[in-house]
Amino acid sequence: MTEIALEVKKLDFYYSGEVHALKNINLPVYKNTVTALIGPSGCGKTTLLRCFNRMHDLYPGNRYNGEIIFKGKNILSKDIDLIDLRSRIGMVFQKPTPFPMSIFDNIAYGLKLRGIKGRTELSERVEKALRHAALWDEVKDKLNESAYALSGGQQQRLVIARALAVEPEVLLFDEPTSALDPISTAKIEELAVRLKEDVTVIIVTHNMQQAARISDWTGFLMLGELIEFDKTDKIFTNPSQKLTEDYITGRFG
Amino acid sequence: MDIVRKRKIESFVALTLSTLAAMSGLFWLVFILGDVLIHGIGALNLGLFLEDPAPPGIEGGGLRNAFVGQLLITLCATIIGVPLGVLGGTFLAEYARGRKIARIISILSDIMVSVPSIVVGTFIYAVLVKPLGHFNGWAGAVALAIIMVPVVLRTTEDMLTLVPWTLREAAFALGAPYYKVIIQVVYRGAAAGILTGILLSIARVAGETAPLLFTSFNNSFFSVNMNEPISSLTVTIFQYAMGPYDSWHAQAWAASLIITIFILMLTIAGRLIIRWRYGKR
Repeated sequence: MTEIALEVKKLDFYYSGEVHALKNINLPVYKNTVTALIGPSGCGKTTLLRCFNRMHDLYPGNRYNGEIIFKGKNILSKDIDLIDLRSRIGMVFQKPTPFPMSIFDNIAYGLKLRGIKGRTELSERVEKALRHAALWDEVKDKLNESAYALSGGQQQRLVIARALAVEPEVLLFDEPTSALDPISTAKIEELAVRLKEDVTVIIVTHNMQQAARISDWTGFLMLGELIEFDKTDKIFTNPSQKLTEDYITGRFG
Repeated sequence: MDIVRKRKIESFVALTLSTLAAMSGLFWLVFILGDVLIHGIGALNLGLFLEDPAPPGIEGGGLRNAFVGQLLITLCATIIGVPLGVLGGTFLAEYARGRKIARIISILSDIMVSVPSIVVGTFIYAVLVKPLGHFNGWAGAVALAIIMVPVVLRTTEDMLTLVPWTLREAAFALGAPYYKVIIQVVYRGAAAGILTGILLSIARVAGETAPLLFTSFNNSFFSVNMNEPISSLTVTIFQYAMGPYDSWHAQAWAASLIITIFILMLTIAGRLIIRWRYGKR
């Protein structure tokens, strides 16, 4: 039950210019659970999230130290195939990022990258992904319309469906609801909880209630350090660190 | 009270001056377009497009050679200039983003946009005409392409920069390599803008005379051989307008009208694409 999907070991991260953004992070991420990363702005939670799919590699000068173990391998090592890694560890961003193409093509994009070309297989996988993201009923009659015609909440679920289509093992959410209204937020939260049957979810959120509602484990970060990591119930009812208590009771942040 | 009055007067003066400035600009535009229309429309006839020029001083004949030559030169210039411009702009906005080299090339191409076209013409004369010993169509096409490249390059760069960076990250996060991100996602997002830039750059070179005078020159006979001198509308207009015959003048007016309409349509098409694509949001 408590199999580990990802294990962060002694992770340090430096942005170009030697800005020390993450300091000695150690953290397990358990399989088929939702792990929330919380903390005040600039604490490094998004930076940590973006280590898991090596998003930092897009920008020259960034540097990792330490290890993140995924399926027995250190994904921070130089010889990791990023394309393969990113197909196993998907990501959903703060603002919805539909591509400028039809709804169908959006979902099919990742599949086509994997070399899936058959029309029938594509259709099946697209439908499956859209059903999985609870969007199918809303878009099934307009699959060929532009993804920009959807509402913000629908776009976010579309993006989740796009990430799910390639059947990743881990899904990273970077404040996925901060640009959405409460109803859309509720739908995304339900979805995140339901998704953990199939994938491991790591979510960065500004919203502590959200972390409390949907996560099983919570990590609290401050100034680039992991202050506390524990079961969500424990963090929100009986934190062992004074800083954590101060933060969740709203004394700062 | 006083200060309000003073501001109202200032406002009135500023408004009047700017309106007058706008009106004077518009007046000349309408005047030129009207003049071209009035003189050109009377000289339009089917023979203009279907017949080659009559011997000097003899009535009749047309400008088929110039229309075909113009299209050929412009087409070749587009084929040479557009890929260079689009790829260059892609390099600046994507691969060299934020690097010093990108800044330098950007500034240089801004300067190149305003280089007088006759300078480009003489440059190509030295490179592609003198060594070959005769005027030729390719030289004209290359000269026009050189004028197009910086325009297309800068528009492409600007349009690609407008595509939100998060869109690229989203594509990377799905495991796409950079060239696929650019071709499949970024180009789609910027397609309308880039297309507009291409249309406007074609409109820009279609009206050029100076660079063609030194390169493709002119040809009184029908020719599609780009290795030989080839006729173009603009150079023909120049030659006929300076010539001594009334029939030449009339044909120059007609040619002016045609080329003006062509450029106007390209420009309007460019504007419409912008409005159709970006106006909705």
